[in-house]
Amino acid sequence: MTNSPETGLLVVPRIKVQNANCISSPMTWGFPAITAFTGLMTALERKTHGHTGLQFLSVGVICHHFEAQVTQGGYTRAFRLTRNPVDKNGSTAAIVEEGRAHLEITLVFGVAGQGMAADPQQYAQMAQYCADTLATMRIAGGSVLAAKPGTRAFYQKPQLVSLGDSTEARHKIFRTLSRQWLPGFALVCRDDLLQARLEELQQTNPAASRLDAWLDLSSLQIKPLQQQGTDKAQWQARRPPGWLVPIPVGFGALSDPYAPGQVANARDPRVPFRFVESLYSIGQWLSPHRLEGHQQLLWYPVTLPEEGLYRCLNEFTVETSHI
Amino acid sequence: MADLESRSQKLRALIAEFIQGRLAAKLEKLVADDPKYALLTAQYQYDAWLESAARRVGQIQSVTHTLKAIHPDAKGSNLYVSPGTLKAHSLLGSHDLAGGFQADVVGNAAALDVYKFLKLTDEHGNTLLELALADDAAFKAALSKDAAKAEQWLAAFASLLGSDGALASHPQAKQIYWLTGEDPCNDLHYQVLAPLYASSLAHEVFTRINQHRFGEEAKAAREARRNGHFHETGYCDYPNLAVQKLGGTKPQNISQLNSERGGNNYLLASLPPSWDTSLLTPPLKTDSVFKRFGRRPAVRQTVKALQGLLKAEPPKNLRTRETRFSLTSAVVDELLQFGAEFWELNPGWSQHPDCRLVEEEIFWLDPYRAKSDLDFAERRQQADWPQQIRERFANWLNAQLHKAGLPVGDPEFAQWQKEVKLDDDWRHWLKHLQQELDQLQKELSHD
Repeated sequence: MTNSPETGLLVVPRIKVQNANCISSPMTWGFPAITAFTGLMTALERKTHGHTGLQFLSVGVICHHFEAQVTQGGYTRAFRLTRNPVDKNGSTAAIVEEGRAHLEITLVFGVAGQGMAADPQQYAQMAQYCADTLATMRIAGGSVLAAKPGTRAFYQKPQLVSLGDSTEARHKIFRTLSRQWLPGFALVCRDDLLQARLEELQQTNPAASRLDAWLDLSSLQIKPLQQQGTDKAQWQARRPPGWLVPIPVGFGALSDPYAPGQVANARDPRVPFRFVESLYSIGQWLSPHRLEGHQQLLWYPVTLPEEGLYRCLNEFTVETSHI
Repeated sequence: MADLESRSQKLRALIAEFIQGRLAAKLEKLVADDPKYALLTAQYQYDAWLESAARRVGQIQSVTHTLKAIHPDAKGSNLYVSPGTLKAHSLLGSHDLAGGFQADVVGNAAALDVYKFLKLTDEHGNTLLELALADDAAFKAALSKDAAKAEQWLAAFASLLGSDGALASHPQAKQIYWLTGEDPCNDLHYQVLAPLYASSLAHEVFTRINQHRFGEEAKAAREARRNGHFHETGYCDYPNLAVQKLGGTKPQNISQLNSERGGNNYLLASLPPSWDTSLLTPPLKTDSVFKRFGRRPAVRQTVKALQGLLKAEPPKNLRTRETRFSLTSAVVDELLQFGAEFWELNPGWSQHPDCRLVEEEIFWLDPYRAKSDLDFAERRQQADWPQQIRERFANWLNAQLHKAGLPVGDPEFAQWQKEVKLDDDWRHWLKHLQQELDQLQKELSHD
């Protein structure tokens, strides 16, 4: 995507979120799913568009702090649960396990639209309006906390910046912004690594599936190195290079779309309804200064109804020229 | 015709054996003269049992995607979607199960015996369910001599895969809005997506992870590691694997496969790299932060991996190059993150009397002091501290590699370094580091 559709970036720095949902899908836990942030983006546009005239196209997320409410120790983690109100008979409600995490994140929205044509002197005010609105909303199910005075977060203000026309200008703006996101890590999409590992596995085992590749990239391989002439070996844990994680990236259709009102108890009888399942790929946590432009940071929701794909995509690919 | 007759008889024998087996299990629990004895025996007559089974099969449904795993109180449609019928794409989903999968069963747990019945296999390995779906004549003949009855029962059994009537979601089910049109502000430009739990896929993942955790081969490998011996394959761990309980103490209320998993749902971790900011203290009483940098678990791990790579003399292929490149870049990344963490401290922390850091490190780690300390700002502006930090970093890393017994600094090492092209990586990353530090220098002078 050399010609990016966004003409500006809206940065809401250092948002503290308490009790966000950390069960990101039926097969992953940890950082909330990226769809939580694209959904937040849409909700934010609906609340602010009338005031700012901004269109929201994409969202990037940088994590500065992450604290999951899970048990430590042992081979597996379990979620620290909440005690919930009793049901209508006064008996204890059934436990439905929920996972929670506290986060500190910076959100970067790719924006466009009329709003960007406003006098740049109004940008600060527009950014503040969006940040104030965001503070009243839920982020991945968690509540937004106000920053404490005296901390760096307190002094960092939300910013709306125009990306400028030239590639060079964009590059410069992005570099200056991205330095302010340290220390922290940005989440990018690595579909390419999943595919590469699948092909690699298939060279030795033609029956290897994408599931094998996905599990392989999610695990720690512990392999022995034989010492010459003995049956002794040194064991080493190996992870694929880079901080790679299994992530859900969206949804795949299980049925055709049903006409509005055709499915009982649907949330909205005015729009079509479709049964779906979560789809997974590989993500990478990366130092923001490693990103070469805003397109590498931002996630775009992509809808292909014919293919039955509703997913989020990010333009990050490793530049292989210097490898 | 004779073939049909003989197959049909074999099936009858198979079915009769199954029913007798179930009856025997029930009778075992009774005392000899229990009045229920006669009643049970009557219920487990061939025709009587099949008739009841054909009636009860409506209470259960074979599915691949379940709703109750999303929330146990949700009541709505579960789906049977054969993985082979899903569109293939490059993401992981149920379509990757096309090679084989296990279907789940939802519904009244009391009718699960009917499912066990339909899972019986004939001499060719076909399940009775498959025979019912194929409208198999021998199976039909085996069910009952009464053709109309046989027809009706067969149809009932085949309905296991069918949907349970009207499609429905539920207030407790997940339902999300997805923008499919152009305008987010238009309520009608959305679709509602209702994610179901991909039970067959989750079961495959569960089975594989358990194999890696508890399988014979994994056990042998772990044992070999404990004793420091060699093992053919090694094993794998899933760091921070979480277990989510579905259905509490009654996993069978969620689904059959959930019950087989003991209600355990494995969740793979996608955690961001994390550090504990509360532990961050100003680096006092020391002249350099590089020692502290070297103690960071991520740094130790990366340096160890780099040492390992250099010692192992791996083949010169793309994979080695990629690994090497990632490792060197990871150290530089970590350094930049490490430096930035000190910016979180209150600016001016380096004015503490116990701070003995060399000045170039203060310029790097406490840059915002320049805003209130003009002398400092002046000195910082004059110094070529980015170059000095770069050198300190290079020296530090060389020392680490030297510790590992690599002949750093020797001509031999220089030659070897050239061969593995580590030098190129270094130049690349040191240049990158320099740019980052220069940028930090500039940024503050513009204020």
